[in-house]
Amino acid sequence: MELFFNSIGFGLVTASILALAAVGLTLQFGMTNYVNFAYGDFMTLGAYLTWTLNVGLGWPFWPALLVGALLMAIPVLLISQFVLEPFTKRSGPTFHILIVTFAVSLILSNLILAIWGGDFQNFNVGEDAPVNIGPFLLSIQQLGIIGLAAVCMVAVHLLLTRTKLGKAMRAISDDKSLAAVTGIPTQRVTTIVWVLSGVLAGLAGGVLALNVSSFDPNVGVTFLFVIFAAVVFGGIGRPYGAMVGALVIGLVVEVSAVFIPSAYKLDVAFLVLVGVLLVRPDGIMSLLARG
Amino acid sequence: MPHDLNYYLATLAVYFLIYCVLTLGLNITFGMAGIFDFSYITFMAIGAYFAGVAVLPPSNVPGLQWILGLNLGFPVDLLIGALAAGVFGLLIGLVAIRRIRSDYLAMVLVAVWTITWSVTSTTIGLFNGQQGLIGVPQPFEAQLGVNPNDYVFVFIPIAAAALAILFAVAYCIERSPFGRALRATREDQDVAAAFGKRTVRLRLTAMVVGSVYAGVAGALTIEFLSAMSPNAWAIIETVIIFSALIVGGRGNVFGAVLGALLVRILIIEGTGLLPTLPDHPELIGATRNILIGLLVIVVLYFRPQGVIPERRRRYFESRKPAGDASAEVPKRG
Repeated sequence: MELFFNSIGFGLVTASILALAAVGLTLQFGMTNYVNFAYGDFMTLGAYLTWTLNVGLGWPFWPALLVGALLMAIPVLLISQFVLEPFTKRSGPTFHILIVTFAVSLILSNLILAIWGGDFQNFNVGEDAPVNIGPFLLSIQQLGIIGLAAVCMVAVHLLLTRTKLGKAMRAISDDKSLAAVTGIPTQRVTTIVWVLSGVLAGLAGGVLALNVSSFDPNVGVTFLFVIFAAVVFGGIGRPYGAMVGALVIGLVVEVSAVFIPSAYKLDVAFLVLVGVLLVRPDGIMSLLARG
Repeated sequence: MPHDLNYYLATLAVYFLIYCVLTLGLNITFGMAGIFDFSYITFMAIGAYFAGVAVLPPSNVPGLQWILGLNLGFPVDLLIGALAAGVFGLLIGLVAIRRIRSDYLAMVLVAVWTITWSVTSTTIGLFNGQQGLIGVPQPFEAQLGVNPNDYVFVFIPIAAAALAILFAVAYCIERSPFGRALRATREDQDVAAAFGKRTVRLRLTAMVVGSVYAGVAGALTIEFLSAMSPNAWAIIETVIIFSALIVGGRGNVFGAVLGALLVRILIIEGTGLLPTLPDHPELIGATRNILIGLLVIVVLYFRPQGVIPERRRRYFESRKPAGDASAEVPKRG
C-alpha cells in the first residue's frame, strides 16, 4: 500500500511536468493548427539554459529556472517569426510546415549538442531529504514542481477566462478567420502565444531535467511522445483537456510502475495514446462535448 | 590510385547504394502515398536486427544476448530482415492508418519510434540492449576468405544487385495504376475514395512496401558493418532521410537517388572532411546536421518540389491513342 501511495505521489509529479509541457504545446496548436515537432528540443533548451544559470553562474535552481524559461522567449520568437511564419503566410501544403518543425528540431538539438556537449549533466540543488506529506513521500524539489505546475495552471486558467488576450486566444482557437474578421489581431495574439508556449516548454524542460536528476541533449525528445499522449487524450488544441490528459497519463505511467519494470513505465503512455486514437480520435474530452 | 583512396571510395559507394534503398522506400510511403512516416528509421532497425539474429548463432557468451540466433546464410537473412520490417510496418499501419488526421498519425509514428527504441535499448535479451549486435558475419566472408580490407569490393555487387532490383520495382510502381492511385490518395483521399479507390488499403500497402525497403537497407547495413546498436537509429536519422528525399525531389525515383547522393554523400561525407577540434569531437556531426536542417528549410521555401520535381501527368498523356483519338494524340505518341 505504501508503494502504491508513493507511486501516486510520483504520478502527481510526472503529471505536473506533463501539464506544463502539454498546455504549452496545445495552446500553440490552437493558434497555428499544426503540431510543433521541435517542442521536445524547446524543452531541452530550457533545461540547458537553466543549467547554465544554475551551475555556470551559481544561481539557486528555482530563480535559474524562471529566468531560463523567460530567456526561451528569444529563440522561440526567432524561430516562429523567421522560420515558421514565412511558411504559414503562403498557404502551401500543410506537410511543409510539419517537415520544417522537424528540421528545426534537427537544427536545435545539434546546436544544443555543439554548445553544451553530449555528456550527462546534473543540476546543483544541494541536499534534498524526502518529506512525508499525508500518505505521500516526496522530495522538496518534487513539491516545488507540483507547486509550480499548480500556479501555472491557475494562471493559464485566469488568462483564458479573465483577460481580453485569453478571450482572443479562445476565439482564434475556435475559428481563426471568424476571429480575424471580428477585429482580433490574430497575428499578434499568435506571436504572444508562441512566447507563452516557449516559456512553458522551458519550465517543463527544466523541471523534467530536475526530476530525472541527470540529463543529456535527448531529455526532451524522448519525453515528447508522453506529452503527445496527454495532449491527444484531452483533444489537441484544448488547454483544459491537456491538463486532464496530463493528470491521467502522469498517474497511469507512475502507478503502472508498481506492476511492470519501471524501465517500461513511459511505454504505457504509448498504449493510452493508441487506445485513445482508436476509440476517440478527437480526444476523450470530446465525450463531454466541450466547444 | 592508392589503395586507401580506393577503399574509401568503395566504402562510400556501399553507403550510397544502401542510402538509395532508404530514400526509394520513403519515396513510396511519403513521396507517393503522403504518409508522414516519422518512424521510418525504426523499420530499418528492425530489418537490421532480424537479419543479424538470422545470421548469428545462438548467443553463448554471458552478457551478450539476443533472440533467435538462426545461424543462416546470406540471402535468407536479408529476406528475413525485409519480412520482419514488412510485418512490423503492417502492424503499425493497421493501428495507425485509419481516417485520423495526418498530424495525429505523425505523432503516433514518432511515438512508435520512441517506444521501439527504448524497448530495444533497455531489454538486453532482445537485441543485446544498448550495446547492440556485434560481430555479425558478413555474406560469403567465410567462403571467400578475403582480406577484411578488400571485403568492401565483394559487398559492392551485393548492394548494387539489391538496389537494382528495388529500383526497378520502385520505377514500375511509379508508373503503374497502383502508383497513380497512391498519388491520387495523397492529393485528396475523399476524391480518390469517390472514384472507387480503397484508400486505407492503398496507404497500408504503401506503408508495408516502404517498410520492406527500409528493412532491406537495414539488413544490408548490418551485413556490411557487422554491427547495429540503438545509437545508429536515433530519430534524427529519419529526419535526414526525409531531408534527402525532399531535397532530391519526392514522388520520383530519380529524385530519391539524387537526394541520397546530395545528402548522404555530398553533405555527410563533405563535412567529414572538415578539420576536427580535439576538444569537441561532436562538433562535426552537429555542424553536418545543422546544415541538413537549414538545407531542407531553404529547399522547402524556394523549391518545394525538390531538385528533380515529380512529373505531373496530364489527362491526355495517359490516354492510349485509340480509334476515336483526335489528331494530336498520335503525334505525341
